[in-house]
Amino acid sequence: MSQKGFTLWFTGLSGAGKTTLAHIVEAEMRKHNLRVEILDGDVVRTNLSKGLGFSKEDRDTNIRRIGFVCHLLSRNGVAAISAAISPYREIRDEVRKTIGDFVEVYVHCPLEVCAQRDVKGLYAKAMAGEIPSFTGVSDPYEEPLNPEVVVDSSKETPEVSAKKILKKLEELGYLPKTEEVYSEEEEEEVKRRLEELGYF
Amino acid sequence: MGILDRLRSLGKSQVESKEKKVVLLGLDGTPYTLLKQFCADGTMPNLAKIVASSSLKQMDVSIPEVSSTSWTCFYTGMNPAQHGIFGFLDLQPNSYKIYFPNSKSVKVPALWDILGNYGKRSVVINVPETYPAKPLNGSLISGFVATDLKKATYPPELLPTLTELKYRLDPDAQKARESKDVFLEDIYDVFEKRRKTILHLFDQEKWSLFIGTITETDRLHHFMWDALVDKNHPYHNGFVDFYRRVDGLIGEVYDRLDSNTTFMMCSDHGFTSIEQQVYLNFWLKDNGYLKFTSDQPKSVEEIAPGSRAFALDPTRIYINLKGKYPQGTVEPGAEYEKLRAEIADGLRAITYQGKPVIKKVFMKEDVFRGPLMEQSPDLIVLSNYGFDMKGSTNKQVLMDREIFTGMHTQDDAHFLINRKDILDKKPHICDIAPTIMKELGVAIPSDVSGTALI
Ligand SMILES: Nc1ncnc2c1ncn2[C@@H]1O[C@H](COP(=O)(O)OP(=O)(O)O)[C@@H](O)[C@H]1O
Ligand SMILES: [Mg+2]
Repeated sequence: MSQKGFTLWFTGLSGAGKTTLAHIVEAEMRKHNLRVEILDGDVVRTNLSKGLGFSKEDRDTNIRRIGFVCHLLSRNGVAAISAAISPYREIRDEVRKTIGDFVEVYVHCPLEVCAQRDVKGLYAKAMAGEIPSFTGVSDPYEEPLNPEVVVDSSKETPEVSAKKILKKLEELGYLPKTEEVYSEEEEEEVKRRLEELGYF
Repeated sequence: MGILDRLRSLGKSQVESKEKKVVLLGLDGTPYTLLKQFCADGTMPNLAKIVASSSLKQMDVSIPEVSSTSWTCFYTGMNPAQHGIFGFLDLQPNSYKIYFPNSKSVKVPALWDILGNYGKRSVVINVPETYPAKPLNGSLISGFVATDLKKATYPPELLPTLTELKYRLDPDAQKARESKDVFLEDIYDVFEKRRKTILHLFDQEKWSLFIGTITETDRLHHFMWDALVDKNHPYHNGFVDFYRRVDGLIGEVYDRLDSNTTFMMCSDHGFTSIEQQVYLNFWLKDNGYLKFTSDQPKSVEEIAPGSRAFALDPTRIYINLKGKYPQGTVEPGAEYEKLRAEIADGLRAITYQGKPVIKKVFMKEDVFRGPLMEQSPDLIVLSNYGFDMKGSTNKQVLMDREIFTGMHTQDDAHFLINRKDILDKKPHICDIAPTIMKELGVAIPSDVSGTALI
């Protein structure tokens, strides 16, 4: 099967779970021998978007750059994964239009939970007023209106969230359908044989 | 194939016969100590001859010492927290629902996948935990628990040959309960067909790595170990005769080797006599850690609220952690650690007729290392010889006996390689894959758990 490229676009607050989920989904895709590339917001800001700040304009530029690279990758048959906050709806929709094969995942998580997790210690600083434009605290976040997938990382484990995403990708034909290895009768047969040897 | 093609392939195989190759015969559940005995008493003359110019070593396997876990360690060189096979059954994420791990559950590449990346072909016959057969550069017939020969065969073009050879996946263990004569006959029948298939593919296919595994040994041991131990047992000769046949196959394979081919053998665990079967879930229940919603629960799916721990076959204990399981009750951190220590102490105190039942209780971090630590059992038990640990949920006693007379051992598997110059240490099953990679001149992935023995 030749691989159809696409972009998996995560959006959500800092600490919502974008990076975590991107890596789980990546590992699953690799099991299908798919070519995958992750563009993580935190990483991109150290190279491709080095020097950009957090004004609306700079944030838009950052997202457009990530979108641009995702587009290049996608049209060359790679599964491109973006894991950046991407707070503005308009820019996300613009990128969606350009790429076409675009799957948006809203990693929902209440601000309080993100702040409590404070994976990178940024919320403490933001709330102390040390970071001027911090998404969700002192800068806007616009939820997507029609994302392909919504996960709630305050209520689900990462595995459950990742499963939802993978299922959607299967439905959309970007991932081969996972066929059940054992049919019901076969599973009974497996049970019987394990039982005979005292394993079940 | 036309005559030209045939000539061409002949020429090719001559050129390539200079290349290093490895043959490994697997004997499921065959202890090192038994092979030593059979070499010494003349039961296995071919093996005895090979051993004279080889290293035959006693080998450790990872725990739990069951075929699914062990053979996956064998064919990946990695430990269960890397490859993901902790036993014949496991729980689906975030639930108590059971599933049966299979080749698609294995999270890391197999030895033959790595060789395939270097253009090297493998022939792999009857290695457990390789079902369904996944594509590889070579041919593969899956082992236990394969149910459908078609799904167990790669490439599909191999299927007609197997049908012609009347290949059988497994003996029917049900027969052991009917009659030992019928069971033995069945074991001999499966072995004979497997032997023919091994030799056929050995001769007909092109390969750098050839693995042929006999699993009938394990079945024989489970049900008839008593016949081995007792020389006056009516089936003693039936048991020993089987090993004479195995020795015959070893001879047939060894005679075919050229000087570029390294010969190896291994098992996935050893065997010893059962004194008592021991039921961990009963112990957990009896000590107030576990409750079920019914009197005769079929599996841990029937766990009741308030339970703090449960066991999966054979020696895996899981703490019912909050956040990890739907009815998790134990807080991660101090409460978890305290409970683990308490359960470990309790288990160590179990005795049978004054003898300690359990040799060692490990915390998961003592034995596993890798990205799958979270799904690893929290405690894992190693029993003393004679005490066969089971994960049954419906037992109303701590110990009893069933039809089985043999049980697995962790420290008495075997490894053989037909050269004398190998590392002076007790091999571990995870060492075999890197040893084969090194022998075949392929880079060993940096994250394997084992080390090359050469
Ligand atoms: N369902 C879930 N999906 C993703 N992360 C989760 C989930 N539940 C809990 N988490 C935890 O939340 C944190 C998310 O951090 P991270 O992935 O770095 O966030 P982001 O990349 O969105 O800033 C991790 O510590 C992760 O383990
Ligand atoms: Mg991140």
